Amino acid sequence: MNNIRIEATERSPEIDFNFEKNHFAMRGESYPEDVPAFFGPHLDALEQHLAGLSDGTVTFVFEMIYFNSTSAKVVMKLFDLLEETAERGVSVTVNWRYEEDDDNMEELGEEFGEDLEEATFKLVPVSD
Amino acid sequence: MLAKMQYEIRQALHDQGIVFCYSGYMTETILTGLGQAIKQKLTMEATDAKTIRGVFSVFVEQMQNVIRYSAEREPEPREERAATKESVLSYGLLTVGQEEGAYYVNCGNKIEIKDVARLDAQLSTIRDMDRLELKALYKQILKGEVPEGSKGAGVGFVDIARKATRPIEFDFIELDAQYAFFALKAYI
Repeated sequence: MNNIRIEATERSPEIDFNFEKNHFAMRGESYPEDVPAFFGPHLDALEQHLAGLSDGTVTFVFEMIYFNSTSAKVVMKLFDLLEETAERGVSVTVNWRYEEDDDNMEELGEEFGEDLEEATFKLVPVSD
Repeated sequence: MLAKMQYEIRQALHDQGIVFCYSGYMTETILTGLGQAIKQKLTMEATDAKTIRGVFSVFVEQMQNVIRYSAEREPEPREERAATKESVLSYGLLTVGQEEGAYYVNCGNKIEIKDVARLDAQLSTIRDMDRLELKALYKQILKGEVPEGSKGAGVGFVDIARKATRPIEFDFIELDAQYAFFALKAYI
């Protein structure tokens, strides 16, 4: 599968999906005008790729500054996908990076992370 | 006369602590531009980062609610509720201001009378929830466990209530047989 590399814009995050290394990342702000149109194809590609894995290591980095409530549905979907992948025996690590003074982003990380049982979840405060 | 009239409007807004006011058709492009200006203004006032993020977040959810759900739009509303892109212009009124040391985002738009009861019930449920209940509802909606249209559903409203530092305020006035005006205010 071809790697996906999309630069961030003011309203959409950077998407960096490396399917060879199984390193995935989403960074920046997310409140695109049309959330399904922006994320749909990338989520489908990721879902298809992860479905084919039964061992190995997968890392997903979230480094979000802001996401709106519609984008939150996408984050939830990603967490579900990653947990399902871990349930099949893949070693999955999710790194939730947030600016250290951003209590809200930390709290959101905790909320999404608490549903992960098989996947490893790490909250990573980042200083400027 | 012209200047007097405009100045009176400006002064009336100013006297209420309103820093930003937009009344008219709302589009995603306007959302982007206004959002930038709001962030810039709050940063200049040396508002703390948490408050800026909160105001911005509530602003985005409020604007998107109007863009998607205002009943005052061109062309006329269609059966399906979500706006089909570009072709639709939704009318709304947004104010951002300061009151008793807190910022607020207040947004109003026309809705259909038949939607008042449902929206009132939804928002009352959300208003009366504590932080833990709001958090639980937010996750349930994201997971698709709360059917659309049921009490409290509407992840944007839940998000607004979570970012707000006081219970959300809202009400409705009847305009005619078909329409009501709805306003929602959140303090950050």
